[in-house]
Amino acid sequence: MNSQKTKNSFAFRLFEGMQKENLSYIYRGVFSQNITDGILSLTESNLDKQGEDSKTKKRVFTIMVEGLQNITRHQETEDEAYVNETGIFIIQDVNSRYYITTGNPILKKNIPNLTAQLNKINSLDEEELKQYYKNVLNDNIISNKGGAGLGLIEMARKSGNKLVFDFVDLNENYSYFYLNTEISQNTGNNLSSIQQGTETLKSVKEIHRILNEEDIVLIFNGIFNQDSLLNLLSIMESQMMEHNLNLKKKVFNIMVEMLQNIVKHGANAKISGQNPGIFFINQNKESYQLNTGNYINLSEVDELKRKIAYVNSLSVDDLNDFYEKSLFNFQIDSSKEAGLGLIELRLKTNRIISYEITDFNEEFSFFVLQTVVD
Amino acid sequence: MEKLFFDHTEDTPKVLLDADNREFLIEGRSLPENAVEFYLPILNWLNDYSKIPNASIAFKFKLEYFNTASAKQITKLLILLQQISEKISVKINWHYYREDADIMASGIRFAKLIKAKIELIPYDD
Repeated sequence: MNSQKTKNSFAFRLFEGMQKENLSYIYRGVFSQNITDGILSLTESNLDKQGEDSKTKKRVFTIMVEGLQNITRHQETEDEAYVNETGIFIIQDVNSRYYITTGNPILKKNIPNLTAQLNKINSLDEEELKQYYKNVLNDNIISNKGGAGLGLIEMARKSGNKLVFDFVDLNENYSYFYLNTEISQNTGNNLSSIQQGTETLKSVKEIHRILNEEDIVLIFNGIFNQDSLLNLLSIMESQMMEHNLNLKKKVFNIMVEMLQNIVKHGANAKISGQNPGIFFINQNKESYQLNTGNYINLSEVDELKRKIAYVNSLSVDDLNDFYEKSLFNFQIDSSKEAGLGLIELRLKTNRIISYEITDFNEEFSFFVLQTVVD
Repeated sequence: MEKLFFDHTEDTPKVLLDADNREFLIEGRSLPENAVEFYLPILNWLNDYSKIPNASIAFKFKLEYFNTASAKQITKLLILLQQISEKISVKINWHYYREDADIMASGIRFAKLIKAKIELIPYDD
């Protein structure tokens, strides 16, 4: 019971940390084509919902594509020695300034070359970058090496800012390579951009450490609607590819109920400038822990507690009876009974529903719900 | 009666209700944001049909996944089929992927709750 409490508090702390750093989305793990596509459309629908202009959207997009390709390319080519680290993708949104950070393990012997390349790119102005791009492109055609460095130049050109990077020691052969790019409407203020980028990278590294510790594979701290739900589902379907069907379906099932719960009941619209909630998944081999956190009206707290307590008090047989009764109760939206969603969570996870409610202000509480699927 | 057809989308199933050709099916994933809204035309169509049913019908369910909001609407649909079965012969075929314990269990549950013949049919691909 005690460790449960700590875990739940972690969800709230994580949410606060994500808000503070303006982190909207993190994926950590193996990157497949489907996952990359899912991340791109998730970002696209979020940018759309925020009413971002098409020029900024396109720049964010190009840089994301290059960054994600960087991660997948390294996955394929550098598996010769065992390294227990996967790629990471992070997007931060600070008042229409976007920070995209990618990270992946690289062989230490490649660091000098990569550093020289990045320093070279950072030393060039817009016009010089354009020329450099052409030169590298020609060299690539002649040497038939393909792509080397072009992606990085493209990222620098599209962002109009310097590329901020860092390496962290992993083991004898590997380091972790972080690359951070800023996309803002006003470019050109390079000094502050590098400072800001370095600050950003510092907090990203700290967050990455926590994600590794907690086995977190995905965090979403954005707008919850059917579009983001479908994108998150498609990312998780690809992420779970190797698992058996029934585990996959259970995770899918519970994700839908938990996320649609936020869409339906989250008190988002009323807190301006705040994201309505957070969704994150921890994974330990064949065990997934799904967490949601969202604001609810203070006036709904007692009712919610009562519903959960009731569902938690039932035996499996009683739960099934209650489920069937609820199936035929078409007036449930206006009734005082717990909905099918809560019963389903309890039945599918075969566990007591674990939750925490934290006071936020006079009007709202923060509701954390946690389920385990295995 | 004019037939009703919806192609499947990312979050709604394919639906075909065709009285002339006696084809009735619902197939795919069902997790719409608003399940009541999605199922309303389907329930209305069946409600109209229940007043003038002709011959026997076989209704095919081949669902891959449905959320709890859809479960309730599917229950309504099955209740309508149960009513129609009082007038004409109705057969409900509940197809499930053989390894899918979840969809199979839902079929068993509905067969227990609905007073119309529901046959569970596993498929392999």
